[in-house]
Amino acid sequence: MEGLNYQDVNREILRTLSRPPRSYYLIVGFLFLGILWGAICWTYQIFTGLGVTGLLHPSMWILYLVNFVFWVGIAHSGTLISAILYLFRAKWRTPIARSAEAMTVFAVMIAGLFPFIHLGRVWIFYWIIPYPNQRTLWPNFQSPLIFDFLAISTYFTVSVLFWYTGLVPDLAAARDRAQGIRRKIYGFFALGWAGTDRQWHHYGAAYLLLAGLATPLVVSVHSVVSWDFALAIIPGYHSTIFAPYFVAGAIHSGLAMVLTLLIPLRYIFHFENIITLRDLESVAKTTVLTGLIIGYSYLVEYFIAWYSGNIFEKQTFLFRAFGHWAFMFWVMVFCNAVAPLFFFFKRVRTRLWSLLTIAILINIGMYAERFVIIIGSMAQDFIPYNWGFYHVRWVELSITIGSFCLFLFLFLLFAKFLPSISIAEIKEDITPFLRGKGKRDHHGA
Amino acid sequence: MAHEPALLGIFSYLDDLLEALRRVKKENWKILTVFSPIHFSEIQEIVGHKTSTVRYLTLIGGILGGTSVVGLGVYAHLSFKLITSGKPVIPPIPFIVPFFEGTILLAVIFAVLSWVLKGRLPRVKLPAAYDPRFSEDRFGILVAYPEGKRETISKLLKDAGAEEVRDVSG
Repeated sequence: MEGLNYQDVNREILRTLSRPPRSYYLIVGFLFLGILWGAICWTYQIFTGLGVTGLLHPSMWILYLVNFVFWVGIAHSGTLISAILYLFRAKWRTPIARSAEAMTVFAVMIAGLFPFIHLGRVWIFYWIIPYPNQRTLWPNFQSPLIFDFLAISTYFTVSVLFWYTGLVPDLAAARDRAQGIRRKIYGFFALGWAGTDRQWHHYGAAYLLLAGLATPLVVSVHSVVSWDFALAIIPGYHSTIFAPYFVAGAIHSGLAMVLTLLIPLRYIFHFENIITLRDLESVAKTTVLTGLIIGYSYLVEYFIAWYSGNIFEKQTFLFRAFGHWAFMFWVMVFCNAVAPLFFFFKRVRTRLWSLLTIAILINIGMYAERFVIIIGSMAQDFIPYNWGFYHVRWVELSITIGSFCLFLFLFLLFAKFLPSISIAEIKEDITPFLRGKGKRDHHGA
Repeated sequence: MAHEPALLGIFSYLDDLLEALRRVKKENWKILTVFSPIHFSEIQEIVGHKTSTVRYLTLIGGILGGTSVVGLGVYAHLSFKLITSGKPVIPPIPFIVPFFEGTILLAVIFAVLSWVLKGRLPRVKLPAAYDPRFSEDRFGILVAYPEGKRETISKLLKDAGAEEVRDVSG
């Protein structure tokens, strides 16, 4: 951000809201087709029944649950970056926080969709909501599924409110620059923000509180998701390390997704001055830490399986490494635990192409991890008579592809219609204009 | 915003603005509002804001959220008794998770509502003194002036480095 002043920041960030090139519409249109195809497949599944998927005993949690856990994981880095790093005063978070928060909101939305898709009879989803009803049925508050419902809905609400709170001063800046209907829309969402001392005073207090409240939430959400599995007695699920293991995995995948989205965004919008290589390098360094935690967790899982002397645990973990889905297992190990280690080399973490390649590898690895844990453990539990494989069918595959299209679609809309970098926070990192003490003036002198 | 006659001083430099604020404060003129593109704690200190009540409202939200979700859970378990072996109908340990989520949820909702309402938002019309440059790189002070003191305050603002001083009515 060297050499930038307040005016430059407004100009650089708000110029991305101007009319996009034709290629933008083309990509958005293509992604919309992907979403449409996913929606058609879901409709087909609703009318025909869940039998159109590969759902078959014993694999009762299929690709939909893999997607659910994957997207919740992706959603983690946004709040990590915006809340935890805000409390730690890590300056490198500033240029990437807004996009990461947007990514969080979209990822939670998509994650929340998958339990509904998996439900089959989606129109009776409200049965899980606790309220006095004529059925005289109440959900069980001891169930991890209710924990999950509460955790995900809380996380979604908090993420949206945190994101929106950060956006308000920037929407006001966009309003002041826009004309016509755009001015009215930005003005409506800016709530009449004028940047008065009173507004900043209460806003500052609330933002700090939101960061403080969101921080334990980040840790709790994926812990709760992990208990969906850990509270079951299936070998491969029933483990006390699941909560920290899942949280580290979620942050790992989220950071990788931040790199995957921000490197192209930086290139397309020419944000080189604002999102510096140093910021991306900091994300890569954090990925090394989470990668090491993940690698350690993989080792501990195997150690526990061996040390416990439990034959069911042992066979489950042998099956993971050498069984039907061994390929996915080794993809998981390489991409999540080995590939990030290349970031130890400065040359690797300061080259955009290597940053992007490893980030994509981590995304693939984390998807493979969700698959190995969820599908692999169910396929072989205690009794060989009960064993069985799950085969992915075109319906769930199409819906999965549709979800990726929806994620990118929403992110592209965000990048075009909202300030993708926080204007107010970037300005806080810049020395303001000072007349005295030899500080720079309007002409940058 | 201002229902009394007031002068708006627009500043380019932060140190000029802070100096003007100090002088206005020292001479006991009434500061109606200060506009700035970002949050500066020095401005809050000079203007003399008390601790924001947002934190108390957030605490109330958290307590309300946690207790109401647990209350709902207890009511649900008493209404539909799911008795499994010797386990209690109302188990305290699993209720920690709904309690935690409820606490955070309502605390955050209260925090957001309170900063919006305490900041006197939402509002349809922007304050009469607002200048679009305040969201970019300029600062502003709105000072109320008693009858006959317009010139004194105008001079004070200009001397402090205001690049523009203008009248703002109600």
